[in-house]
Amino acid sequence: MALKMESKTVGGVTVVRCIGRIVFGDEASALRSTLKNILSTSKKILLDLSEVSYIDSGGLGTLVGVYSSARAAGADIKLTGLGQRVRDVLQITKLVTVFEVYDSEQKALAAFH
Amino acid sequence: MAIGSASNPGLGRASDAFPSLVLVQGQEQRSLVLDHSPFSIGRKVDKDLVIADPRVSRDHALIMCEVDGFYVADQGSKHGTFVNGERVERQKLERNDRLEFGVRDAAYVIFHPVGVASSTAREFLSQISGMQISTDTTDLEKLTMFLDAARKLNTTGVLDEILVTVADTTLKLTRAERAYVFLKVDDGSLRLAAGRNSRGEALIDDTTISHSILDEALHSASEFLVTDTSQSLDLAGRQSIVAYDLRTVICIPLRKPQVQSARPKTVHTVSSEGLGAEIIGALYLDSRFASRDISSVSNDILRAIATEAAQLVENARLVQAEEAARVYQRELAIASSIQQRLMEVHIPEVPFARMSGRNLSCKEIGGDFFDAVSTEDHFAIFLADVCGKGVSAALLASTLQGMVYSHLVARMPLAEIVAAVNRFFTQKHLGEKYATMVIARISRDGELEYVNCGHLPPLVVSQQKVVRPEAGNLPVGLLADATYESARLKLHRGDRLLLVTDGVTEAENARGDFYENERLEDIARRATSLEEIFAALADFCGGTPLNDDCTIVELVYTG
Repeated sequence: MALKMESKTVGGVTVVRCIGRIVFGDEASALRSTLKNILSTSKKILLDLSEVSYIDSGGLGTLVGVYSSARAAGADIKLTGLGQRVRDVLQITKLVTVFEVYDSEQKALAAFH
Repeated sequence: MAIGSASNPGLGRASDAFPSLVLVQGQEQRSLVLDHSPFSIGRKVDKDLVIADPRVSRDHALIMCEVDGFYVADQGSKHGTFVNGERVERQKLERNDRLEFGVRDAAYVIFHPVGVASSTAREFLSQISGMQISTDTTDLEKLTMFLDAARKLNTTGVLDEILVTVADTTLKLTRAERAYVFLKVDDGSLRLAAGRNSRGEALIDDTTISHSILDEALHSASEFLVTDTSQSLDLAGRQSIVAYDLRTVICIPLRKPQVQSARPKTVHTVSSEGLGAEIIGALYLDSRFASRDISSVSNDILRAIATEAAQLVENARLVQAEEAARVYQRELAIASSIQQRLMEVHIPEVPFARMSGRNLSCKEIGGDFFDAVSTEDHFAIFLADVCGKGVSAALLASTLQGMVYSHLVARMPLAEIVAAVNRFFTQKHLGEKYATMVIARISRDGELEYVNCGHLPPLVVSQQKVVRPEAGNLPVGLLADATYESARLKLHRGDRLLLVTDGVTEAENARGDFYENERLEDIARRATSLEEIFAALADFCGGTPLNDDCTIVELVYTG
């Protein structure tokens, strides 16, 4: 599978670093279940996508799915580290207006408080 | 050899039902699936198999599925169609046939190569129907009856009949009074599948048999269990044995046959592998005190029955599963042809505009589609890209197409159309399934209204200049509370509007570069037809296969 996830906690925020490709199939499922797990204990999640090289339409669907169910459950997810490709996809689909996107981890973490 | 699970063996390999084509081009090989008919071959970009060589005609040949198999038919090509080196007009295809289209040195196609994929059930059947039973024991000669039944399998294939035959034959061999065949069902329990008595009458009630002995047999590691109730006092009290005066009960667990394993020669050497095998059912035989004693039936016979009956039952199940898979496959083929017809575009003729569209599907049924609708003073086109592939994407695409089409016919405002579609899809909770799309509607006077839902911005080509209007919205089907707005443009005579899916901009060449918007805009500026754009795209990609469907729709305002 071409997606790894590493998480750490910084000041009450769970920072999840995604490394690889977010694509339909195992990768998207892994992202969904990992975030679901984290959501059971943490209500503040920062997704660091700086090492995501590619996201396809299925992966994007999963990202939005997780995002809206987290929102519905009262949790807060923010994004940071958008590479050019991910940024383009979010731009074209206008999803950049849906997600809260920050330029750096610091700025994103500050925004949680 | 792998065999499917006992509940539906073979079904998991349903996709093998379509033959494959392997295109060999120099050092490169590419597999294609013949999942629809006719399958077109030619130089034109809309062919199922595009061979970009000037010696290949634009509409070169078709491969068609007919009642008795697959045929290749030349479509009046200039340089001919060849099967195994001979020029043909029309020829039935056999596996491993080598097909060449005009160009005889650079590329060829192998039809359905042997050894790539095959039907497991059928191969398995042919393998075991040729199996011989050792005849060194005279008792075993009687088992030729089983073999006869096994041969019949290929023609009957009806599980119930086979089970009754198993019961009857077993009764003859053991001289027992009653025989029952149980099969394991999905929840793991045994269900009565056939029952016969020695007079050849059907027994449908299993309440008078000893279920405790049946259970015991299934949980023991033995090949079979013979119980003489007169010999074992602890059994004498059991309900069914008392009530029905049972004397001897024989239980034979039916284990999934191990294809490679030989039958054990002696009573005690039993391969542990065989006994560990999955239980697929059980054969239960009994007789009462008042009648004959079956406790002395030879162990060899019982062992042979255990093996042969299991083999038969498994074969019958395989045949049944194969038939089910065939029916399923037929249904799928029908569904696929309906889908293709739904997606066929009938371009309406209007005096002030014309449209054309091309779709290049990479593999299976893709998620791209487009359509056009004309109403009194308007002409509307739409292009959508449903996320995912295969049947699920096709279903969603058909629904989406139906909704958009009918709303356009009803002249609903574009923003309302996509809002309605979004509401519909998000309310149905389709599990992260969504679509990106553009609808554009032009009026007689060149006023263009469009709504872009998460799609690449359209290209407006005017006076050799390309503009990418950025107005856009969220995709449909992702977020229930999304709102949509349309935008407007004024087109002048000769202006063109191009809608493209991201398969075009993300088409890759061998170096891993994407086609990107810049190249697309550049060719859009220069090209006078969609074919030119697709040709440029093909040039860029070289031999690198597409990752995603490529679709371009063009609307020209003619004034």
